[in-house]
Amino acid sequence: MGDNLISVNDVSVNFDYQENFISKKQKIHAVNNINIKIKKGSFFGLVGESGSGKTTLGRAILGANKISSGNVIFHDDERDYDLTSMNKQDLKEYRKKAQLIFQDPYAALSPRMTVRDIIAEPLEVMKITNSRQETDERVRDIAAKCRLNIEHLRRFPHAFSGGQRQRISIARALVSNPKFIVADESVAALDVSIQADILNLLKQLQTELNLTYLFISHDLSVVAHVCDIVAVMYLGHIVEMGPARELFKNPKHSYTKALLSSIPSIDPEKRSEAIELKGEIPSALNPPPGCVFRTRCPNPGIDCKGGEIKMGLTEVEPGHWVDQCCAL
Amino acid sequence: MSHLLEVKNLDVKFDTDEGRITAVENISLSVDQGEVLGIVGESGSGKSVTAKSIMQLNPGNTSYNEDAQIILDNENVLKFTSKQDLKKIRGGKVSMIFQEPMASFAPAIKIGAQMVEQLLIHKNINKDEAKSISINMLKRVGIADAEKRFNQYAFELSGGMRQRAMIAMALSTMPKLLLADEPTTALDVTIQAQVINLIKDIIKEYQMGVIFITHDLGVIAQVADHVAVMYLGSVVEKGPVNEILKNPKHPYTKGLLQALPDINNLDEPLKPIPGNIPSPLDRPTGCVFRTRCPHHNPEGKDGKIEMKLIEVEPGHWVDQCGIQCGQNG
Repeated sequence: MGDNLISVNDVSVNFDYQENFISKKQKIHAVNNINIKIKKGSFFGLVGESGSGKTTLGRAILGANKISSGNVIFHDDERDYDLTSMNKQDLKEYRKKAQLIFQDPYAALSPRMTVRDIIAEPLEVMKITNSRQETDERVRDIAAKCRLNIEHLRRFPHAFSGGQRQRISIARALVSNPKFIVADESVAALDVSIQADILNLLKQLQTELNLTYLFISHDLSVVAHVCDIVAVMYLGHIVEMGPARELFKNPKHSYTKALLSSIPSIDPEKRSEAIELKGEIPSALNPPPGCVFRTRCPNPGIDCKGGEIKMGLTEVEPGHWVDQCCAL
Repeated sequence: MSHLLEVKNLDVKFDTDEGRITAVENISLSVDQGEVLGIVGESGSGKSVTAKSIMQLNPGNTSYNEDAQIILDNENVLKFTSKQDLKKIRGGKVSMIFQEPMASFAPAIKIGAQMVEQLLIHKNINKDEAKSISINMLKRVGIADAEKRFNQYAFELSGGMRQRAMIAMALSTMPKLLLADEPTTALDVTIQAQVINLIKDIIKEYQMGVIFITHDLGVIAQVADHVAVMYLGSVVEKGPVNEILKNPKHPYTKGLLQALPDINNLDEPLKPIPGNIPSPLDRPTGCVFRTRCPHHNPEGKDGKIEMKLIEVEPGHWVDQCGIQCGQNG
């Protein structure tokens, strides 16, 4: 286990749901039996449509969502932390080491705090620094790494553009010196010209500070560009996982193929080659039995239409895993 | 030949507490019947303001210049002031599809009631006719169980379905011009592909003119016939979609294309456009792009070159400062 930072073992997350107080209690299966290993120093991508459970999985790994079954292990240098059986003290330690960058830089920053206070807040809350001077030093240090000027620190968030705000969010996430970062749709709200800038910054910080990322996104071309390993999620399951280039050049699962073909091509002469998926992602309240994708699958087999094939990944090539229904 | 819509020398300014903001400056565009004009640009480039001017939907602190003209069907809509006239363009001859379908439907009124209401305002028909037109339109945009959806509220529909209902509502009055303001931005790629195909089919079927606003060049490549690239309130380049995307001349258009992650070319590093879009409160004089332009054209950098579009190839117009920059590098 030497080179893994995070091991996710058979993790499921269910939410209780009750439509009104007399109706029956139901379970929403948001995330089902996920197994992933995130290597130290990797840029792990998680893609899928809205409602596929990517954010829930990301939050479960951070300990922000309750895990219903399975466990998540964080392999630190000296010891392993098991998220499911963690005491308060350990959880505090873990929070210093694992941080989250949010999607919307307009909603994530308090409008009443100066940039300095925003970035310093984690240090103060976690009692990492002992004096104001030390705090200021750490804040200035990380702000410079995120390409913010010293004079920016005295201003309020409203004075900044989307890209600058996202750099402030990144600085706040990195100030406690974490090892693991979950970036949840962190470039989705930005314009393309700024998006490229933030992606380059994340890459650069990764090498500078030895970070490991879980990068959650719905944009496949972005994921293809920055990630080493990619997992494709659909309705709470991972349907395909593998090295980014291999997966995008040689997709095996019908869902991955459809997703890739749906990216609008920049070439006006190549119009509408999209494999059109009928309908929409089913509700997680009662997912279809067997292969969850079969209700929308463009080329379903006879067995999977009956829902007789269980979900489960098989390795088709070294490191490239595909759900068995489509691997057949 | 006269165009369906012609925008000539349009300036839009807003009076705010901090001073007068120039949101759009000297824009000229045209759309023909059955044609899709794509407008691309970053947030704050004035795309939506331009579209809203056509329906006079900009807020009360807006002022237009005297010689601006927005000619729709041989009438200057900027001169419209009476309710009767405005009704003709708001939902009559022109319809708009917005980015966030959840925010555009009234949450406490059934979708069907909203569709019928607008039909009764614009068409001389009774309620039953309006209902059957609405249900047919819902079917046309691919909504299954149209009769059932007709009696539901917006929150009961999924994102893709809501956007389809929005499109059905916009089309049911048979407008001549459709303004689509980022209609696919809030949708997943698979749903986006469905909605793009739907819009393309409908344009063909009804032969309406469309202004399609988006920041996604991929979407533009898929739907538009002509493109206008906007930056900070000005059109910096416009022309046929093939020309603009394959043979861009302006450094901003080139920058946008290079910043786009291309899934077929993963070895190419992402190249951001340096700097940030300036605040419209201190809009640069001369070439608006000069504060972020990667080229060093001394006169352009000093703001000595006025903004002016020049035709470099038939139908392909580029800002004159941009032509010089493009040649320098």
